[in-house]
Amino acid sequence: MASPAPLPGAPDRQPAIDVQGLGVRYSLRLTRKNTLRKSLAQLVRRDDGGGHFWALRDVSFNVIHGESLAVIGPNGAGKSTLLQSLAGIIQPTEGEISIRGRLSSLLTLGAGFDQELSGRENILLAGAFLGIDDSEIQRRLEDIIAFADIGQFIDAAIKTYSSGMRARLGFSIATSVDPDILLLDEVLATGDQVFRAKSKERVLELAKGAKAIVLVTHDMHWVTEFCNRAMLIERGRVIAEGQPEEIVRLHEARSEEARRSAVVPPV
Amino acid sequence: MGLIREAVGDVWSRRQLIRYLVSADLKKKGRDTLFGNVWWVLDPLLQMGVYVILVSVIFKRSEPDYALFIFAAILPWKWFSSAIGDAITSVSGQDRLIKQVQFPKIVLPVSAIMAGITQFAFGMVPLAVLLLLLYQDRISPALALIPAVAAVQLVFTLAFGVLLAALNVFFRDIGNLSRHVLRMWFYLSPALYGAAVIDEVATSHPTIAGLIKVNPFYSILNAYRSVIYGGTAPDWAALGWVLGVSVVFLLVAVWFFKRLEPTFAKVL
Repeated sequence: MASPAPLPGAPDRQPAIDVQGLGVRYSLRLTRKNTLRKSLAQLVRRDDGGGHFWALRDVSFNVIHGESLAVIGPNGAGKSTLLQSLAGIIQPTEGEISIRGRLSSLLTLGAGFDQELSGRENILLAGAFLGIDDSEIQRRLEDIIAFADIGQFIDAAIKTYSSGMRARLGFSIATSVDPDILLLDEVLATGDQVFRAKSKERVLELAKGAKAIVLVTHDMHWVTEFCNRAMLIERGRVIAEGQPEEIVRLHEARSEEARRSAVVPPV
Repeated sequence: MGLIREAVGDVWSRRQLIRYLVSADLKKKGRDTLFGNVWWVLDPLLQMGVYVILVSVIFKRSEPDYALFIFAAILPWKWFSSAIGDAITSVSGQDRLIKQVQFPKIVLPVSAIMAGITQFAFGMVPLAVLLLLLYQDRISPALALIPAVAAVQLVFTLAFGVLLAALNVFFRDIGNLSRHVLRMWFYLSPALYGAAVIDEVATSHPTIAGLIKVNPFYSILNAYRSVIYGGTAPDWAALGWVLGVSVVFLLVAVWFFKRLEPTFAKVL
């Protein structure tokens, strides 16, 4: 279980995502909100203000086309940092990431939305931020609106939307662009039952169309039902990788253990 | 040099994004107020009114046609100070987006500054009204040179805005500091007074006068005043010098921005 068997069926295909020895280090000095006074003080004292920590270390894996990899782990394990690195938002401190294909990331739904603009304007803006050709986004505009099921609110400002509507619109934009590689962060638990079913369908469809998916979720049903591989990370390191059922079982066992040791009464 | 070429490519390939950001910015600024974009016309006029009363009524130190004299400087200065203010927060204010989507961050300060151009263009309306109603004898062909002076100012503004946008990610004090620096800068530039006053200052305080003269806005505001108020061509040599310095400054600022860009997502 610790080392995954080579995947059957695609020996000659290049992986869509290939990660070798990835490490991401955060400098605690930089991540703290600095004011000039503090930085000057640090400069004078030659103090690096608490050093650094590794959000990810020695992470290696690959994802081939048609595969969907679930990344699971406790809060703060580095799951989101991993997706940010894959999306190119964060530069790795060490190691290498190679991506083959068009990538779309859906990290937090609707994060980039401008509250003052209408849904329609936000679709165009989000498309431009994602680097999608304007003519393409214009062409897909009606599909995106239809899938998000926003109705006449599409021309109202986003600030009037419910969080479910916002999430639906974000999901609809990110999955509309025919990505080769889709990165999803906790997005499937949004919306009502109907939309959830619809979005599951869309994700499965994308996965079937020879698309690679990396998904971060706490919904273990999703992992076992729809992913063909899973990876457990804790404290920035890969603990195990393999069949979803096994990994989920391992994760649950380890969480249970952690819970038990956490509730030890103080002496 | 590679970083600068990359930045030019970023801006060019994402020009549609810049266009959307600019129009979104303008839409938002016009919304939520009763008069909407009419404020772009009223703002400089009201500010002019304040200074006319302060200087010509209270201090009794006036120039002929003083309203037009200071309006020629207030208009470009308002463009500069509001564009810089917007540019400073352009990157740090989009922290959520930067952590979610990979895109060239340089489009943010660039579009903040580009949005300011429209505001400046709107300022031409009250200028035209002022000239047509009160100062018809000041109307001259030199007015056609306003865009040339504005182009020099734009290069300088871009350089300064890009630099501060990157710095403000690391030091949030820039925003507070800039308000005071900008105010001081305005008073130390020949906006409320003419270049002659600075020559007068030079006899008693040569250092301050020297400082005022190396300030790019010494030449820029003088140039605006020549074409709007004086009816003559600007001092091309002085303006050319400012352009040269601004271009170098812009290259340095863009290089600096690109160097820091990879760390933005981690720091914000």
